[in-house]
Amino acid sequence: MPVISSKVRLAGLLLLLLLAFLLDISVGSVKIPLGDVFRILFSSSSGDDTWKFIVEKIRLPKACTAVLAGCGLSVSGLQMQTLFRNPLADPSVLGITAGASLGVAMVMLAGGSIATLFAIRELGVSGSLLITVAACLGAGLIMMVVLLLSGRLRDNVLMLIIGIMIGSITTSIISIWQYFSAPEEVKDYLLWLFGSLGGVTGGQLLILSTVTILGLIMAWLSSKMLDALLLGENYARSMGLNPQRARLIIICSSSLLAGSITAFCGPIGFVGIAVPHITRQLFRTSSHRILVPACCLIGTLLLLLCDVLSQLPGNQTALPINIITALIGSPVVITLLLRQKNLNAF
Amino acid sequence: MPINSRLRSFFPAIVILSFLSCGQPGQNKSAATSSDSSSLSSARATIKYAKGFRIDYYDHYKILSLLDHVGEKTDTLHYLLLPEGGTPPSDHPGLPVITIPVKSLVVLSSSHVGLTEFAGVADRITGLGSLKYINSPLVRQRIKAGAVKEVGLDNSVNNELLVAMHPGALLTMSNPDAAAAGKNKTLAEAGVPLIPVSEWLETTPLGRAEWVKLVAALVNREDIVNAKFDSVEQEYKKLAAIGAGAATHPSVIIGMPYKGSWFMPAGESYMVQLLNDAGAGYHWKDSKGTGSLSLNFETVAPEALKADYWLNLGTVDSKTDIVARDTRFTQFAPFKKGTIYNNTLRTNDIGSNDYWESGTANPQLILADLIRIMHPDLLPKDSLYYYKQMK
Repeated sequence: MPVISSKVRLAGLLLLLLLAFLLDISVGSVKIPLGDVFRILFSSSSGDDTWKFIVEKIRLPKACTAVLAGCGLSVSGLQMQTLFRNPLADPSVLGITAGASLGVAMVMLAGGSIATLFAIRELGVSGSLLITVAACLGAGLIMMVVLLLSGRLRDNVLMLIIGIMIGSITTSIISIWQYFSAPEEVKDYLLWLFGSLGGVTGGQLLILSTVTILGLIMAWLSSKMLDALLLGENYARSMGLNPQRARLIIICSSSLLAGSITAFCGPIGFVGIAVPHITRQLFRTSSHRILVPACCLIGTLLLLLCDVLSQLPGNQTALPINIITALIGSPVVITLLLRQKNLNAF
Repeated sequence: MPINSRLRSFFPAIVILSFLSCGQPGQNKSAATSSDSSSLSSARATIKYAKGFRIDYYDHYKILSLLDHVGEKTDTLHYLLLPEGGTPPSDHPGLPVITIPVKSLVVLSSSHVGLTEFAGVADRITGLGSLKYINSPLVRQRIKAGAVKEVGLDNSVNNELLVAMHPGALLTMSNPDAAAAGKNKTLAEAGVPLIPVSEWLETTPLGRAEWVKLVAALVNREDIVNAKFDSVEQEYKKLAAIGAGAATHPSVIIGMPYKGSWFMPAGESYMVQLLNDAGAGYHWKDSKGTGSLSLNFETVAPEALKADYWLNLGTVDSKTDIVARDTRFTQFAPFKKGTIYNNTLRTNDIGSNDYWESGTANPQLILADLIRIMHPDLLPKDSLYYYKQMK
């Protein structure tokens, strides 16, 4: 019975998600009639080149990025909360997000001087690709450290604390660079920190979707392990699960998701911590076979709606996505939790 | 006529000063002191465009006032500029005293270097916010020779070093309000005269450039600087008249979006004033504000797709760089037509751009470039000063 109702809910969410996707594509600063939006989307010929550019090159990539980031961050958050059996865990607990920020800071601030950037530019690597590569390298570096340590440690709570410590070290290294950087460089970096869905296009979108889908497949395959871990490591072991290896796979998948999304979109906060809670409240299950896809749907829905709100029609300015996610998401989580009063999933 | 008669009476001073500038640094220090202090106020700076400061001349001293023209307050900071050895007047008690002519300057922003160089006293710079962003060959040579110290920027200013250096004046970038509210109190108490030079708050190019007169007042060089500024002003006005006569007004977009935000100069900013004077068409020229508008990509896209020119793109140096930022830029008309011009021609080997340094004091050169780019029929395009075409 609950399985069927879960499937119905998933189907309902999927429908809502489609509507949200269409809404995100049809509203924006420039008013484009809905009919024209559909014509641009579904037929090759279109009258207005400006509208075509806006829909195809601005709105569509942004909505796709929202879908990828929504799925990735929520699932990564779910994995972390389950692995550490801690309701406060999110994709940033292992320091992977901070690692990506470290990479970006290295490019934007560290060499510090424009001179270094100048030197890098001479090598022919530039622009957004450079930032992305740096973020991936940073996230990858921290991920390696975390994985090495996780091989040595048997206790998840220790792992959690160490992850937070690594994050703190990384953040303070960034702070040092920020402190010694020129104001205009810091401004660029701060803008990156605000997060954005609008900067991912073309080939980048392809890379992001490949990595995200890979991470999601790993998460889906590890959902049995997550179920078992929820009942405690001893129980998991008695079920024939190797907790070490399970942890390795989960951390790997979570790092891929959080690292790549942070690299392309900047650190988008809140989604990772809030969506798993919303999902558990709505579905009242602890089975990850359902929670993983449900998190994807709800995360995507939330991020799409936030993106719509961040650029209300007629408004020429877009608010950074990070401001909206927390502003809109927090009251939702609080309301849901007030109805519940205790977190039965942990 | 008053300009002529004034110039004539300044003539002796010009002769003395130009003679001094040829001498050895060690020699002219003592000579400058005696002649400058005796000839105080022989020349006066009249402020026509800048709204952020005022200089009042008295018999034996000057009063420099910084005005906060952005908020409601207009009266914020006052300084007593007193010739060396002079006695402070009794009717202005409690004012921070700056001994003039100032012999050593610490400046925090690159535009200050430009203002100082314009006034011909860049060799008096003994400290800079950062040694990395300097274009002036003279100042770079002095850095190489170890005559200039790095004092740090904004919140990381090294107070101990500054107190030990004890410069004649410290020019900071802060807003006069913040300085009045007691920021950098330590330095003020230690007797380091801190002057917030907020030329960046001026909304006209000539207003920004006129801050050279503040530097002039500090070093008793009003005569020379007035004459130089007058020629900048005349040249600017001449060019603006050419721009005003343009038959067409090509549309322009400015800057580059970053992470979805595109910062466009607001209608009352100095950049838009330059565009207007150059006879350009600018979609947001009637918008409010003196800073920039934070627009999203989608709002700018309809303009960018059909714009005639694309200017001031930041640190990019070629079309390849532009594509690397975002492949969507290739669809903009200026990209297809090759009408992208960036103000990076005078970027030196360490990546420091003279536009931000000498450009502040020389708006006529920027305006000439803009007219040459957009109206080649009115001014020949061959020699751009700050701008270069992106290829």
